Amino acid sequence: MTSLQEYFHTDWAAMTANDWVGTILTVVTFILMIVVYAYVLRPKTWRRLEKFKHIPMDDERIDSGEKNDG
Amino acid sequence: MDAVAEQKYDFDVVRWFSVMAVVYLVVGASVGVYIASELAWPVLNFDIPYITFGRLRPLHTNAVIFAFGGCTLMATAFYSVQRTCGVRLWSNKLAWFTFWGWNLVIVSAVITLPLGLTQGKEYAELEWPIDIAIAVVWLSYFLNFVMTVATRKSSHIYVSNWFFIAMMIMITYLHVVNSLAIPVGLMDSYSIFSGVQDAMIQWWWGHNAVGFYLTGGFLGIMYYFVPKQAGRPVYSYSLSVIHFWALTFGYVWLGAHHLQYTALPDWTGSLAAAVSLAMIIPSWGGALNGMMTLSGAWDKLRTDYVLRFLIMSLAFYAMSTFEGPVMAIKTVNALSHYTDWTIGHVHSGALGWVAMVAIGAIYHMMIRLFHTEMWSVKLINAHFWLATIGAVVYIIAMWVSGIMQGLMWRAYDDYGTLAYTFAESVEAMHPYYAMRAVGGAIFLSGAVLMLINVIMTVLKSSSEGSLQQARTAPVSA
Repeated sequence: MTSLQEYFHTDWAAMTANDWVGTILTVVTFILMIVVYAYVLRPKTWRRLEKFKHIPMDDERIDSGEKNDG
Repeated sequence: MDAVAEQKYDFDVVRWFSVMAVVYLVVGASVGVYIASELAWPVLNFDIPYITFGRLRPLHTNAVIFAFGGCTLMATAFYSVQRTCGVRLWSNKLAWFTFWGWNLVIVSAVITLPLGLTQGKEYAELEWPIDIAIAVVWLSYFLNFVMTVATRKSSHIYVSNWFFIAMMIMITYLHVVNSLAIPVGLMDSYSIFSGVQDAMIQWWWGHNAVGFYLTGGFLGIMYYFVPKQAGRPVYSYSLSVIHFWALTFGYVWLGAHHLQYTALPDWTGSLAAAVSLAMIIPSWGGALNGMMTLSGAWDKLRTDYVLRFLIMSLAFYAMSTFEGPVMAIKTVNALSHYTDWTIGHVHSGALGWVAMVAIGAIYHMMIRLFHTEMWSVKLINAHFWLATIGAVVYIIAMWVSGIMQGLMWRAYDDYGTLAYTFAESVEAMHPYYAMRAVGGAIFLSGAVLMLINVIMTVLKSSSEGSLQQARTAPVSA
């Protein structure tokens, strides 16, 4: 066994319920992060989101009760 | 004078939070300079238990984090949520409850901590009755903010409000779980956690207080106030969305990097270090997003002193969010942990990032809340340089001291015996402790200038009657 294989060796049989909960949560979180990155980086979403950047600049329009795009 | 906004929104409570934030900055930094001086010159203890380092250190951290930081977060959140949502606060009375409740908590800390009444948990020292009060007041802030967002006139929720809401949710959760204790007296309790679980819960809280309160909340400030002060929209809104989600997903995993080489399972420290390194990407993305907001208008930095605070804060944010993950790596942590390097890192974040972005936001609001120019622009400029130089002197002193400490502690001779005694390492640190006190004093002198400037601006507004005029000026519907 190489040192790398040794480092990543896991005794799956010894995993407790807590270990599994933690492992699944970690993997799901990383997948969700990838989903968010992919969603935001889609050109269509990117263009739609960029329209909202003007909200702080639109104080007077918002003050008058006019809605921003969305 | 913005009479429309003055009459449309609830700004009174924001004014009070803003002014009190500056008062607490001076108080908290003063205590910090005093305890830094005690470490350099222990005679300053005067053998009085109430003013020893152990008693005053939690008072310093509570004053700067929860008094100054808390009042700043409450002022800026209540200000920006109204401006970005186009509605007044859901409940003005509840906002005043938050103001008085939060100040009562601060007074309780000022009384109990010097008396030595503490749970002994870092950044969560206050005893159980005060913990309950914090939870109630924090929830009042949370409810008011969320309900204001819920009743908004704008259809989209601006990203600064996302950061504020994430902070409010997470701090509620973290504070309640970490403070779970069994009371055995009015000012005495025992944590329900023990051993390694207690350590894990403590640093799950400790690092996420940094992540969601001192980072997430202050990023909410950055995403509203940098574009407003620069007069330009944020460089990329999509990048801010990635910044938000990556930060929110990522930060909760980092706490275990405070416990490398302890009884905690080894893999938790490895996971925390790996996620810490991954966090450099969104953190730098966010810092660049803030800085690039000035793209094409960098000349504004020559004349706009408030903008200088905001942009300098982003430089420190980028620096400390690189340094932190590097310190989380086990081999670096073996040298840095338990040394003054950690103190230097914390203060590059606290003085450079948190305080600078807060100061910039408060100056921005002062002009708009009191409907007059600042009493002295020269004092703002002087404050900027004192804050920057003070922070740099402090950080450099702690870097040198910390690395030297780490190297001395682990130096062995040919026989495997420690090369230095602990006392020798303490002696070697003395010049840097003095340098740290000087750096802190320089930073404090800037804060005092700010307090003078703020008080004089309030008096100027009062003598000009500008606030009263804004309240009563006729405005079109």
